[in-house]
Amino acid sequence: MRAASPVTLVLVGCGAVSRLFYQPALLELRRHGLVNILAVVDPRAEARAPLAVALGAAACTKLDEALELRPELVVIATPPALHRAQAEAAFAAGGAVLCEKPLAASATDADAMAAAAARTGRLLAAGHYKRFMPAHRALKTLIERETFGPLLDATLVEGGKFSWPAATDSFFQREQTPGGVLLDIGVHVLDLLRWWLGDPTNYTYADDALDGLEANARLDATFASGASVRLRLSRDWRTENVYVFRFARATVHSRVNASNQLEFTLDGLPMTLAAELREPLPGRPAPPTRALDTNPQAFIAQLVDVCAAIRENRAPFVPGIEGAQALRWVEACYARRTTLPIH
Amino acid sequence: MKTASQSSTWAIIGASGFIGLRALEGLHDRDGIAVRPVVRAASSLAVLARRRLDWRIAGPRDLASLTGALRGCSVCIHAALGDPLQIEQMATVAYQACAAAGVRRLVWLSSASVHGQNPAPGTDESSPIHDRHLLAYNNAKVRAEHRLEKLSADGRVEVARLRPGVVFGPRSRWITDTAADLRAGRAGWLDEGRGVCNSIHVDNLVHAIRLAATVPAAAGHAFVVGDAESVIWRDFLLPVATHLGLSANDFAIAAPAALVAERETPFAALTRSRLYQNLGEHVPDRAKRLVKSLASAWPAPALAPGAWRLPRSSSNAPRLTLEHTLLQRCAWKLPHAKAARILGYTPPVPFAEGLAASLAWLDFAEGPR
Ligand SMILES: NC(=O)c1ccc[n+]([C@@H]2O[C@H](COP(=O)([O-])OP(=O)(O)OC[C@H]3O[C@@H](n4cnc5c(N)ncnc54)[C@H](OP(=O)(O)O)[C@@H]3O)[C@@H](O)[C@H]2O)c1
Repeated sequence: MRAASPVTLVLVGCGAVSRLFYQPALLELRRHGLVNILAVVDPRAEARAPLAVALGAAACTKLDEALELRPELVVIATPPALHRAQAEAAFAAGGAVLCEKPLAASATDADAMAAAAARTGRLLAAGHYKRFMPAHRALKTLIERETFGPLLDATLVEGGKFSWPAATDSFFQREQTPGGVLLDIGVHVLDLLRWWLGDPTNYTYADDALDGLEANARLDATFASGASVRLRLSRDWRTENVYVFRFARATVHSRVNASNQLEFTLDGLPMTLAAELREPLPGRPAPPTRALDTNPQAFIAQLVDVCAAIRENRAPFVPGIEGAQALRWVEACYARRTTLPIH
Repeated sequence: MKTASQSSTWAIIGASGFIGLRALEGLHDRDGIAVRPVVRAASSLAVLARRRLDWRIAGPRDLASLTGALRGCSVCIHAALGDPLQIEQMATVAYQACAAAGVRRLVWLSSASVHGQNPAPGTDESSPIHDRHLLAYNNAKVRAEHRLEKLSADGRVEVARLRPGVVFGPRSRWITDTAADLRAGRAGWLDEGRGVCNSIHVDNLVHAIRLAATVPAAAGHAFVVGDAESVIWRDFLLPVATHLGLSANDFAIAAPAALVAERETPFAALTRSRLYQNLGEHVPDRAKRLVKSLASAWPAPALAPGAWRLPRSSSNAPRLTLEHTLLQRCAWKLPHAKAARILGYTPPVPFAEGLAASLAWLDFAEGPR
């Protein structure tokens, strides 16, 4: 029966994110009969071949070859400069697209991708999987429901000495990747901030790029609710890797990538509660419940959501337009950037 | 006016490191010298990529790729680090690559530790160096210098060796580790920090690098380089504490390390084995780093049970590493008279100014406290 049949997919781009994230995630989904991995695509044989073997999929040099297999879903994990053309080709071949962040090389390209999806009636999902983390969902609820009173301010620091095993230097070349740490890890944070607080009413931005790509960035923003946010990003030096939210009656620490953990410091309580987020307990005696999604499980959750959205003919949890808007904010930051001192 | 060598390209091997990056900034941004960063992996480019530079990716022990990376350069500054065995190998490969690529001068970052962390009073460059130090790093630096002296006898590449002591500045471990130890309540010193600290602010070292690359008479020599001031450890450690809102009381009287030669770790033993040596460059660095991290993650022998301690009480005084123990017992300021005489070296940055700038960077990097 079609509704229960695995979603056929191809994975485009066999770099580090595919190897470290998509490979284990897709294997798990296949184990549960949710996907059927038809092919992987990469011009470099040394990247393509091991992934094809690991996933038991055909190895294609070009996307066109893979699209002949008529996949229902094309997962794009290539350098951003390639995203738009690849997404448009996928839509033209009748496929849905889950595209890694940043959604494209520019907001204009990202808008064009979203427009192409709408025109062809195809699904476009943005790879902002951090929205699937239980801690981030909990923060959204705390902010919206004002459980601890209104959010006063937030300080977010993220990053460390760069260690992503980039296969080539394309990641550091302006022509191929039009941004540094803000585009790389910051686009996730800006997406979360928009999701939590809406578009900012006001902000300033500074970074340390000279004629290349920034390694340190600072953003100060205020939002319609009156909350102010300070963001510090680095791929130069270690940071505390934590988001701190000061509400009227409590402070909440969310450690970067600690998907199912939060630390609560409640007003009047002279201690901090370091909590694992679990499925809710009923209001009666009951055994402990199961822990909510870890970081890898949040990544898998996005793929599950996209597959379900295809089957149910609905929008994904993070539609492409959200990726375009996060990218537009990144570009707007670059447009108004001031320079940080080089120490 | 620029000299002939200043108008050509200078390669910096290990340009992503603390000293390499600072050298690049000084030479490129300040002096307008065309520099070519050479790094071992694409991921090493994250900070370098702030500037649009003509970089190369080449392993410092891979002769073919390093030769390619150095082609067209007249000067090569070697600021890469590795484990002791790698340090020795890097010296040979650097020389051979420079020779094959037609590099005129190699500036080799050696270390004052070739004289030991606690050199005898009177020590200078004329003092013989040996490879029987307690620290494997020192011995590797000595052997690397010996290799370079031997290799450069063929006259194909001029080699100038620099022997800095405690190099500090932005991104220096001497600053960050001290701050981290203080914050964690595990900072300690010997004799309240009265030992001599052979410090050199990184910009003073970059100045020496510039001279070692350009002064004709530098070829064939080793130079001790340091700050102008006579500094004791207290002068260095206490301002870091004060900057963090702490004081001399936050340094415990540390237990010195036993003065015995470093024992080989399981990984070092493995890397010395014939099998591993034969694998040589065929083992990707990433795989080697993985083996190394696994080795260092091996469980330490069980400690005395801590279950019956008062919370937050530390069991013992902080124990200094062997390196720190030797450094803090130092009683001799290594003179840089030879560098002054031959290179015309006078350190441009006063110690206090260098330390203040380093602490300003710490605030920038580690954010509001
Ligand atoms: N810092 C001091 O106080 C001091 C004092 C005396 C002498 N020195 C000498 O100065 C030189 C530079 O020191 P530093 O403090 O700047 O070191 P560092 O910050 O650790 O930088 C080391 C550089 O070497 C690279 N590197 C590290 N391990 C490597 C390996 N196994 N193979 C290839 N490349 C490797 C690093 O690349 P990645 O960025 O990819 O890791 C980095 O570019 C060294 O020769 C050191 O012995 C330093």
